Amino acid sequence: MALVGVVIELAVVVATMLLGATLVIVGPRQFVDALSEFRWRVRACTLPLAVLAVVLGLRWMTQDVVPRLSWRVLGHNVTPQIFSLEQTVFGTNPVAVLQSYQSPEITAVFAFIYLYGYAFVLIFPFIAYFALEKMDDFSTLVLAFTANYAIGLVCYVLFIAYGPRNLDPVLFEGLLYDAVPRAYYLTNTVNENTNVFPSLHTSLSMTVFFLAWHTREKYPLWVPVSGTLAVGVALSTMYLGIHWFTDVVAGTALAAVSVYIGRNYTIDGLLESARRFLATQAERLGQPGGK
Amino acid sequence: MSPSRRRLLAGVGAVTTSALAGCTERIWSFAEGSTTDRLSVLIKTPPSDDDPMASKIASQLAENLQTAGIDAVPEPTAKPELFRSTLLTHDFDIVVARHPGFDDPDGLRPLLHSQLSGERGWQNPFGFSERTVDDALEAQRDETGDTRRQTVADLAEYLVETAPYTAVAFPDHVSAAERSLGLSRPPRTPSEYAALYYIRPPDDRRGEPLRAGVFAEGMTDRLNPIAVDLEDVGVVLDLLYDPLVRVTEDGYVSWLADDVSRQETDGGSEAIVHLREGITWHDGTSLTASDVEFTARLLADTSLGEAESPVPAPRYRGRRTLIEDVSQTGPRTVRFSFDSPSEEVVRRTLTIPLLPEHVWEPQATVIDEHVTEALTWDNDEPVGSGLFAVTDSTSGERLELEAFEDHVLFEDGIPDRPDLLEGTPGFDGIEFRVTANPGSAVESLEEGELDFVAAWLPPSYLDVVEEAEGVSMLSVSTRSFYLIGFNARNEALSNYRFRRIVSRLVDREYVVSEFFDGHGSPARTPGELLGLSEGVDGSPEEFPGSQGDVDEAWVRSALEDAGFHYENGDLFV
Repeated sequence: MALVGVVIELAVVVATMLLGATLVIVGPRQFVDALSEFRWRVRACTLPLAVLAVVLGLRWMTQDVVPRLSWRVLGHNVTPQIFSLEQTVFGTNPVAVLQSYQSPEITAVFAFIYLYGYAFVLIFPFIAYFALEKMDDFSTLVLAFTANYAIGLVCYVLFIAYGPRNLDPVLFEGLLYDAVPRAYYLTNTVNENTNVFPSLHTSLSMTVFFLAWHTREKYPLWVPVSGTLAVGVALSTMYLGIHWFTDVVAGTALAAVSVYIGRNYTIDGLLESARRFLATQAERLGQPGGK
Repeated sequence: MSPSRRRLLAGVGAVTTSALAGCTERIWSFAEGSTTDRLSVLIKTPPSDDDPMASKIASQLAENLQTAGIDAVPEPTAKPELFRSTLLTHDFDIVVARHPGFDDPDGLRPLLHSQLSGERGWQNPFGFSERTVDDALEAQRDETGDTRRQTVADLAEYLVETAPYTAVAFPDHVSAAERSLGLSRPPRTPSEYAALYYIRPPDDRRGEPLRAGVFAEGMTDRLNPIAVDLEDVGVVLDLLYDPLVRVTEDGYVSWLADDVSRQETDGGSEAIVHLREGITWHDGTSLTASDVEFTARLLADTSLGEAESPVPAPRYRGRRTLIEDVSQTGPRTVRFSFDSPSEEVVRRTLTIPLLPEHVWEPQATVIDEHVTEALTWDNDEPVGSGLFAVTDSTSGERLELEAFEDHVLFEDGIPDRPDLLEGTPGFDGIEFRVTANPGSAVESLEEGELDFVAAWLPPSYLDVVEEAEGVSMLSVSTRSFYLIGFNARNEALSNYRFRRIVSRLVDREYVVSEFFDGHGSPARTPGELLGLSEGVDGSPEEFPGSQGDVDEAWVRSALEDAGFHYENGDLFV
């Protein structure tokens, strides 16, 4: 159906981009070598991937409950505050400034970056880091993504926020859905239109870029490519009227936090300290006179 | 401290205080070292994904309020939540939304009568309460003809000045269809659906379901005919649930009733209604006079006496309050008695859809304070007695209906059968398909995946419709109107002078020409400013400004005259 059509088109385009990037940035030799010894590599990253799957599964399973919980109980509609804050700080809203440069060509470029560039920038590091000699960078990437999604989910429960195009269609235009109406099937399946603070598009692509910087010696070419795409994605979310400047700033901050978590912790370490914590608690409970 | 720095701190303060206190719904004002407060309002409106026209009206209003020195920002709120917070919990300052419209001036009574201010639904959501208005609303209910017209005209003039709400414009229902269907206007009523179903099957579509595009995702899951927190599902409910008498283009038409005899009684009137023979519900149970009596009882109190005080259904409330008593006088006969002697007022009560007692009686349980199961359950497998019955639904994707062949009106040779049901149907069933947004609905039309779009297309999509191949544009004027509603429970908005000034801050002509692309008509006369599309004339109102921008000097001096004052250009109470 409509969604399937959109997904197939996306898959074909992104797969082509991935193939090209793999050949140029990773190199066919290194990639084939990595594939030939995929067993230990897969084993090494099973745990982090499982945790990421759990978080994504949680997001998927709660997608019916979260909007309700958010609107009726825990959430707060911060859209007017974001708008007022930006009005006070900038006078003219940054989204309106970006949109004042609009032309059909620029819209097409940004729509491409937003949909295809984003998918590419998210998937490629999995291939690139899988092909390295050690799986450390791969695990860091997975943990950082997990942190992004987990923290993002909490934010979306607490903050209900609509993007510029939804607040005021006179000041801001919803360029993406005017240019590619069917993209809405895709974005709406992945996300609610009230989940704009922070911008997960920005945070995930910035996460990839920050990690690219840390692995610059292994993949020097990936730094400018991911950097351009990350900035492009951040700009496109604003140009297309989907996110506020505030969301992009918060998204970048979320990326920094997630990269910090990814680089300084490991899933094994986190699980180990959780186990130790529970063990001490259990011990205390077990002691006579203990609480 | 420099003014800009102060503004910045005030902005930051606003974010923090409201985030902490969680009370943006109230007018939040923050003292800046003086005894009075700067005026701030939030304008609740659907996000433009849901209703770009409402969103644009709210944008213009916010802009003009800012010109007046008032801190005003739109607060986009998903439609079901918007209905909840304005119609159920009364948690708003100003709301901009589409009202379904009035079929009679008596529709003003539930909307503004002070007695209903504590109720839910379109029952005085504004918290407006004035004795003069109550008296006039009651008077017009009992009057007829010219006397009634005069009462309504006087009331309209008074209400324009006191402005509990104000109508902005009446939008046309704009939509699109596959050209070969030969439609010129979107079907909106069961009879129009039936006409399409019977008369216009293009050859290649014969024997297949009629496919209608909608955007309301919730439609596939929630079809409760007495709830108000629904998206635009009105027409589906009309296809599923039948009333005794229906209003069609030909006026009042006997539907499930085959005879209505009416007589005046002491100070009121009564109607003896006779049901057609052999009417059944979609599940095969026969529909009797007992169901008619039950429907009236349930609408008056959805707990059927279980709750301490009645929990009325928020829909059909105005019409239900006209009924004094309903009693079954035979298996197919019911007697309605009314307080009002006016036929034009009370006959509307017979257009309330009937609900099956065996399905709804078990739902009449109290589940929370002043909330019953009947009001909250989804009714996702609706049992009605309408021309069409639900056969299947896929959550968020489609709702499938088939013609209810046992419907009494499908039988040949029955008396007073509406003409439109003559002939053989060309389609087989109706399928409502949920599309992501207006743009993809038009694409689906072009690709032959839809026959027509049942939902409202924003006028901005008309260019796309014109360019689409094999697709024609549909348009029809409607009674529904966009309103700006004020919550009189809030301090500044309880002041009618303030509301009156705010009610003039939208350029209605500009709204229609720019935001509706000319597809609609602006509210001008006192009657129209209340949402009454006909019947009340009077001098038209002018917008104090041009091209949607209010004249700053005018609005500031008007507000000063109303007792407000300015500090550094900001309005203070």
